[in-house]
Formats: sequence, C-alpha cells, structure tokens
Amino acid sequence: MNEILEALARCVERGKVNAKSPYPPDLKGQDGADELARKALEAGVSPKDVLTKGLVDAMRRVGVRFRNKEIFVPDVLMSAKAMSAAMEHLKPHFLSSSLKRRGKVVMGTVAGDLHDIGKKIVSMMIEGAGWEVIDLGTDVPPDRFLKAMDEHPGCVVGLSALLTTTMLNMEKTVKEIKRLSPDTKVIIGGAPVTPDFAAQIGADAYSPDPQGAVEYLNSHCLAQ
Amino acid sequence: MAAAAPTETRVFTLDPHQLAPQRETLEQALGYRGRSVPEAVSLLLDDLLASVPPLLQPSCAFCVPPGRLTTTASSIVCSAVEFHTEPIITKRLRKSTAVALFVATIGPRLERWSKELTSSDMLRAFVLDAIASVMVEAVAEWVESAVASEAATRGWRVTNRYSPGYCGWTVADQPKLFSFFPKRVCGISLTSSCLMVPIKSVSGIIGLGPDVKREEYECSLCDLADCFRRREGPARP
Repeated sequence: MNEILEALARCVERGKVNAKSPYPPDLKGQDGADELARKALEAGVSPKDVLTKGLVDAMRRVGVRFRNKEIFVPDVLMSAKAMSAAMEHLKPHFLSSSLKRRGKVVMGTVAGDLHDIGKKIVSMMIEGAGWEVIDLGTDVPPDRFLKAMDEHPGCVVGLSALLTTTMLNMEKTVKEIKRLSPDTKVIIGGAPVTPDFAAQIGADAYSPDPQGAVEYLNSHCLAQ
Repeated sequence: MAAAAPTETRVFTLDPHQLAPQRETLEQALGYRGRSVPEAVSLLLDDLLASVPPLLQPSCAFCVPPGRLTTTASSIVCSAVEFHTEPIITKRLRKSTAVALFVATIGPRLERWSKELTSSDMLRAFVLDAIASVMVEAVAEWVESAVASEAATRGWRVTNRYSPGYCGWTVADQPKLFSFFPKRVCGISLTSSCLMVPIKSVSGIIGLGPDVKREEYECSLCDLADCFRRREGPARP
C-alpha cells in the first residue's frame, strides 16, 4: 500500500501526469499520477490516504522547495497538473462527502486589478493542500467577496493585489469584511504587499509565497 | 492635475521579428536564473515562441516636453506637471536638461491568449505570460534606443529609464505621464487604478542632457528595504 502512495507522491512532485506523458524522461513509459491514484483506490487504499499521503504531502514538499528556490513556477505547475489528474479520481468521494476537504477559501484579485496568474498559482497550491478554493477571478469588488462569504459560511478569504493603487481597494475590502464578519480570517498577498501593510489594514496574515498561505491555513484556520 | 503642454509625439510600429530576446532572458523570466530548464519547459517554450510573432502588435512612442525642467528632492517638474518620482529616481534625473517620456506595448492579443489558457492549462498560460513580459521589455528597450539616438543628435546622453510603480515612484502618476500623449497612444488606456491596458505595456521617463549618465541598473540604485523587485527579481508588467 505504501509503495503505491510513495510512487503517487513521487509522480506529483516530479510532475508526471500520466503514462502517456514523456516527462520527466526517466519516468517515461511508467504510470503517472492519474493511473496510480486510480490503482491505489482500486487496491483498497482509502481516499483519505490517497489525498493526504499521496497528494497533500507531495504538494507540501513542492511548496517548500519552491519557497527555498530549489524549483520554479513551471515546476510547481507541472506538479499541480499531476495532482489535478489524481484528484479527478477523488471527486466522487468528495461529492458523496465520504472525503472532506480541510475547509473553503474564497480567493480573488481586488477591485481595479486585473492580474490573475499569481493568485491562480496560490489557489492551486491551496487546493493541493486539501482545501477547496472558490476563485472569484480578478477585479472583484468588496460586495462580491461578501456574497461569497454568505454562500460559503466559515470560509477563509484570500486577497491579491499587484498595484500600489489597488492596495487601497484591498484595504477597503478587508475593512468591509472585518466590519461585517470580524471572525473571518483574511490572508493577503501580491508583489507590493508587505507584512506591515497587512497589519495596518487589519488582515490576519500576509504571505510572500504560496506555501506561507498554506501553512497559515493549516495552522490557524482548520475547523475545530 | 496640471495640463501638459502640447508636445510632439513620435510613434513607432515595430515588426514583431525585431523582437528577438535572448534565450537566457526568457529562461530567467520563467525563474531559472543560472539553473537548467527542464526539458518539458524548454520544449514548451520553443513551441509557444513559434506561435507568438503573429500575435504581437509592438508599438511605442516618446516625446520630449518643451520648457525648463526643475527638480525638488523628491519630484521633477516638467512643462508645469509635477511627477512625484521620489528621491531615488529624482537624484538620477537631477542633472537632466530635458526628459523623454515614453510608452511601449505588445498589444492585447498575447495576454488575451494567456488569459484564455489559465482555466485549462496554467503552465502554458504562465510561459506565455513570461514571454509577453520579455517581449514588452524588448519594445521598451527599443524605444529607449530611439530616445538615445534622438538625444545624440543634440549632443546629449541619456539616463536609465524609470517607470511609475518602481523605486518609490507612485503608479498614481500614470495619468500625468499619459497626459503628454494623444489619447489611447499605441492603443494603451489607463484604468481608474492607473493600470495600463493592455497590461503588457511599459511607460516611463528618461533623463537627457550633456551631464547625465547611465548606471548599472537593478537594486544597486535603490535602498528601499521591502521592495518586491528586490524580493522576487525583476517584476513583470
């Protein structure tokens, strides 16, 4: 059992999506994350073990290596692609509620800002850590975040901004969220954002990288 | 905001094939600084690069506003318009006789394609976005050279180019900079948050004069303690 999960984790870390995928070259012709996740479930491995031991642990190592600048964004995205292929086999278990995610995170780039890719990469890493992400996209006004919070009670909110001008909208959004729902945790990030700014506007956390956001979620936001 | 004086704008449309960034620059934009690029990424880069030229609409423009230039410790006043360039940039522009203001873009098509791909293939979307960033920097380098050639005809030299949003210069000054150009110059517009659309656009200022000089760029110019450019390497437009 452990062998198949170790092989699955290895495929996720190395970005080996499926047997057809020729990359990485030393795994050519071998099963990828897609086949291994299916085979693990068929062999009786619990969906929870496939998720936590096969996927989440692997993505955590990917996140740490990215933070340490041992690997780079394309490597992370290849891993995320392999993870997604495996995750497809877990979907029925999520839908039947036999497998639960750690919680929900509503993500969005704040009003006036159209930058998308950084927020998407963070979202993928958060999903890889076992959380469900509701991605509201870009140029998201405060009321859309509030509506999503109503639709997903107990969610955490993640905000992204890439311009100093839209950091002002980030401040408005955080203040509105905290005014109406003081217990909702808010994480912020984006190139010009700093820990001081996060403290100044009342956000609960700032992270300069995806893994920091994941670690904050896992340490501060898990439902009791 | 003071209205900019009428200024002659020189607009250029470039052939996409004029933009031929070095492989190393593209790989750096993907994050691989001095590291080997995985074969899968390298092949994807080749594949996408072959598709890119028809989607590029590179154009750029510059103007040299008339009138006397004055500076304070943290701003520069050009044709009665004050740019809050902050000390790091202002110091480098102080000896300028005049300045050139410029814009550069690769047009909207490439970023549109990248955005479409974000929902289905993030790796391709990211690599395309990196290519687009490098291409618009190449257009900015082209207009910088054009400005330098123009300056040389007056016996002047040029400084580095500086952009709103960097080295302390507020991005909120974008409308002032764009006020020197015809509306929608090179197809670029500004949002209310001063974001250029197409996003893959660059704007900025270059000092001109007999006593200015170019310096080695990057973070050696600047002492901002918590700058994203220092944290993450050169940022993307």
